[in-house]
Amino acid sequence: MITFVSGGARSGKSRHAEALALSSHAERGGRLIYLATAQACDVEMAERIARHRHERGDDWHTLEAPLALDTAMAKVVGGDTVLLDCLTLWSSQWLYAGGGNEAEGETMLMRVLESVRARRITLVVVSNDLNEGLPPQDSETWRYLAFLQRLHCLLARKADSVVEVVAGFPLEWASSEETPI
Amino acid sequence: MQLFIGGACSGRRALVAGRFPTANWHRLTAGEEVDGWLRSHRPGLPLVVTGWLDWLQAVLVEQSDDKALRGMWRSILDALTDAERMADTPVVLILDEMGRGVVPMTSELRRLRDLNGWLVQDAAAACEAIWYVRHGLVQRLEARESRG
Repeated sequence: MITFVSGGARSGKSRHAEALALSSHAERGGRLIYLATAQACDVEMAERIARHRHERGDDWHTLEAPLALDTAMAKVVGGDTVLLDCLTLWSSQWLYAGGGNEAEGETMLMRVLESVRARRITLVVVSNDLNEGLPPQDSETWRYLAFLQRLHCLLARKADSVVEVVAGFPLEWASSEETPI
Repeated sequence: MQLFIGGACSGRRALVAGRFPTANWHRLTAGEEVDGWLRSHRPGLPLVVTGWLDWLQAVLVEQSDDKALRGMWRSILDALTDAERMADTPVVLILDEMGRGVVPMTSELRRLRDLNGWLVQDAAAACEAIWYVRHGLVQRLEARESRG
């Protein structure tokens, strides 16, 4: 089961995604895993990560995946529930911290989704909607936005459920006509 | 007419291409007479019109009167409506949703954002079907009756 949750900044998307993951965990058992894409690049960020980890509580196992989503997901087993928060941060790190190319990034995400489907893992992915403001005024921001949107379109096509969160309210989008992976 | 609206890289083009595989595509160009390029379109085939934001960016530099600009795009929309009715040409417009970000720093970009919003509203008013595209998925937007 793959769910894609997105929305604007502070829309309540992470809270909703966490609730979905907890519900899946309560129903299916297995481990509850937080796939963290944030990197502690300074003291403030380290404190923020530690605070979020404390707030999530002891039920959650944390796997770090600032770049290698596939390596982290290899540690997950069937029946586990995984919350990936967030894809926006991962995509910027992939392009700028890891120096990865766009096609390889899309392939990695596709492989992760195929693996999740094959191993009956529940995956909830959180990301930011960034593409409905003024179009970027420079080519590099265009490149980043286009990459992120290709990931979003891929996820929306492959997910069982696509949710837009507005002011804390989840709006369900009809799933695509494509047969799941 | 039908309108497909969505943010940058939202998947509108792929979606329209899938729904209208035989369509001719026309990209608007500033200074080009609409009757001229419409005459070259083969009646009966769907016509997809793109490039509205680039067209707007180009014409607003020359025209400082927003009402006159609105008249320009309304005359294009009227011509497309007539073409659809008289030449049995399904017309599809692809426009940009760009009003949800922070307020732009410069007056030029604020004007562009405002004008694009009005263009989208006028286009929507001229269309029978309006489709909102988000991450490659699509929903039809429909007006609801006001409950007073």
